[in-house]
Amino acid sequence: MQDVRLRYRGSVIGPFWITLSLGIMVGAMGLIYAKLFNQDIESYLPFLTSGIIVWTFIAGLVNEGCQTFISMQGVIQAVPLPFSIHAYREVTRNFIILAHNLVILPPVMIFFHVGFSWRLLEVIPALVLLAINGVWVAMLFGIASARFRDVPPIVQTVVSIAFFVTPVFWPAASLGRWQSLAELSPLFAAVDIVRSPLLGHATAAYSWSIMLGITVLGCSASFLLFSRFYTRIAYWV
Amino acid sequence: MAFLRLHNLSVDFPMYQGGARSLKKSILANTTRGNLARDALNRINVRALDDLSFNIEQGERVALLGLNGAGKTTLLKVFAGIYQPSRGQLVRSGQVSSLLDINVGMNVDLTGYENVILRGMYMGVHPREMRKRVDEIAEFTELGDYMDMPVRTYSSGMSVRLAFATATCNAPEILLLDEWLSVGDARFIAKAKKRMNEFVQRSSVLVLASHSLDLLAEWCTRGVWLEVGRIKMMGPVDEVVAAYRAAMNRA
Repeated sequence: MQDVRLRYRGSVIGPFWITLSLGIMVGAMGLIYAKLFNQDIESYLPFLTSGIIVWTFIAGLVNEGCQTFISMQGVIQAVPLPFSIHAYREVTRNFIILAHNLVILPPVMIFFHVGFSWRLLEVIPALVLLAINGVWVAMLFGIASARFRDVPPIVQTVVSIAFFVTPVFWPAASLGRWQSLAELSPLFAAVDIVRSPLLGHATAAYSWSIMLGITVLGCSASFLLFSRFYTRIAYWV
Repeated sequence: MAFLRLHNLSVDFPMYQGGARSLKKSILANTTRGNLARDALNRINVRALDDLSFNIEQGERVALLGLNGAGKTTLLKVFAGIYQPSRGQLVRSGQVSSLLDINVGMNVDLTGYENVILRGMYMGVHPREMRKRVDEIAEFTELGDYMDMPVRTYSSGMSVRLAFATATCNAPEILLLDEWLSVGDARFIAKAKKRMNEFVQRSSVLVLASHSLDLLAEWCTRGVWLEVGRIKMMGPVDEVVAAYRAAMNRA
């Protein structure tokens, strides 16, 4: 979409700033946290890189989901379009950003000798599932934010805290007996179904079931809210 | 067959005056009773359109007149399908193209050319199809090389020309135009009028809201004078314009 291209129009390396800034962040974090958590850098850096990439994607879906309708105010007030288009647009944009970030991964994997495994194919259904979730998140949070302008900052705060309490840049195993508790978080499940196949590991026991449950629940909630309020969105934005 | 039929149509705007938009107050309002609840939910609804019933049949060119805040733009937005009526109904037949605000729906960072394609996508026209029409649009707007410049650099007259040409390029059955048309210069207005006439001969509907009474009298067949959301007067455009002008002079 034009959104991404537009944001970087006039800059020299263009959209690959997305890739570069992530690369720098992962490099810096990797060195420090590997020491901090007493991790061996060979396994930690691929773990961190894939974790951050997936997290950036998920956080983007949630945070920008709040702006689905607010940011398209001009268009909503000018052209009657099905509201779901704005949600698809938002999810597509985040997918494009994800694609840019994924560029970092192969060199990291090769450099640190992460072996290839057929589990990699599991990434595809996982990303499809995340996309479906992205759409309901965009609809639900988009409607809520259009009506209550407090929602985006609240969500933003929650997401940034969630980054630290979810096992994204630290391994869940280091929690000891609290490990399974952390693994029950839907955000962890969302990261896990993509990250583990990338690294060639098996996903945590409940990740897929949790994500499927969330999908069904979220879609229904979002559908109910939308069918109740879709006539009001144009008035709210 | 293009028409717009209104039946007891009303539109209320919720006014979220600082308070009601905040989540905290809404939650408080649901959990507490008494003064606080009344305070927090004391929403003011502004009735922008009040119980309108009339029909616009095919081939009609309707002028909307009225002071600021009379409901002209709101009515156009209801016609366009942007606002759902709060009460009553609108029966609409025919494909609609609306130009309600010059820059709304245009991305000023994109070039004129890209905006044409984008606008086409909003109208449901495939970019491939739209590319075929770009030359015709460039010719009508006389923008020339400016088509490759960001819209940000355009004068308001140029944006209007581009928006108008794009919105009318696929010959919509119902065309809704708001005030801003008068931004264009005389040469553009003449050109636009010629294009409109071709339209109306294909028996489409035009609804035009403007403060430029001469323009309305020249372009339209029927006048609808709105006053605070109600119809003050409706009839042949010359009569309505004359009555409106008389009322304005008295004021």
